[in-house]
Amino acid sequence: MELMVNGKKLEVTVGATITTVLEELNINPLRVAVQLNLEIIKRKRYEETVLKAGDRLEIITFMAGGSE
Amino acid sequence: MEKSDTLKFAGREFRSRLIVGTGKYPDYRSMQRAHEASGAEIVTVAVRRVNLDRTQESLLDYIDTKKYTLLPNTAGCYTAEEAIKTAFLAREVGLSDMIKLEVIGDQRTLFPDNEELLKATKVLVKEGFVVLPYTNDDPIIARKLEDAGAAAVMPLGAPIGSGLGIRNPYNIKIILEAARVPVIVDAGVGTASDAAIAMELGCDGVLMNTGIACAKDPVAMAEAMRYAVLAGRLAYLAGRIPKKLYATASSPLEGMIE
Repeated sequence: MELMVNGKKLEVTVGATITTVLEELNINPLRVAVQLNLEIIKRKRYEETVLKAGDRLEIITFMAGGSE
Repeated sequence: MEKSDTLKFAGREFRSRLIVGTGKYPDYRSMQRAHEASGAEIVTVAVRRVNLDRTQESLLDYIDTKKYTLLPNTAGCYTAEEAIKTAFLAREVGLSDMIKLEVIGDQRTLFPDNEELLKATKVLVKEGFVVLPYTNDDPIIARKLEDAGAAAVMPLGAPIGSGLGIRNPYNIKIILEAARVPVIVDAGVGTASDAAIAMELGCDGVLMNTGIACAKDPVAMAEAMRYAVLAGRLAYLAGRIPKKLYATASSPLEGMIE
């Protein structure tokens, strides 16, 4: 099924959770915040949050920068 | 210098009064070395989407979070709503509960939108954030931000990245006289003397990024800034002589050869 992750389309298996998506993308869950369809999901719920087709995920971390 | 002359806010204590950033460096390695040379203990970071291209290096690989306190910022936010959302996401990463609140009013000057900034400060303070707002050198807004619960106030010296130094030391001095929280000059520092001047005025700290990151030799400039902040603070504590229009001779007039 298709999701939007950080503005890009991503194909994942049906039944994928936030945890499996992070694993597939090789992202360390301890360094990110995740927003699913405008709702921030707490880290302890990543494994139990099953994704649906059309879900929009924002995976946020700390990057270099400031206002410029 | 007194061992206890530390920068204190929100129940935390820091020996270094210099706060540095992560943007605009030539590469992560020079950023890491500059951080080291600066002696800073607090480093600001932006809150952004993870780069899904996993071949790219990650910023956090170059910042030892056991050594540095991360200060996420709300760079790129133009409204209170955007800044508040960003702050919540930043806190959710779980590496910091402090937030450098930037709510920008104009793209060319990058001056803060104080109305939105004050709104966001009130909300975030209520939600338990340690809020460090970037503002301008207006004593009225500084007082309002402090009353709203900001852990420090951060007046700009000059526009971000302009390198113009402390454009209005008189306003900064007025802010310092009234403030009951630390005053940290944020933005506009171009070279070492600018940082020293801010500290000589009595500021509690200086936050800078471009002045270091875009210097020809960022690591050397970081070291210069470290000394500038130390020197300025020492000079402030030492109590300078007053400025006078005329000379006062150092040598006694008795015993002059005739």
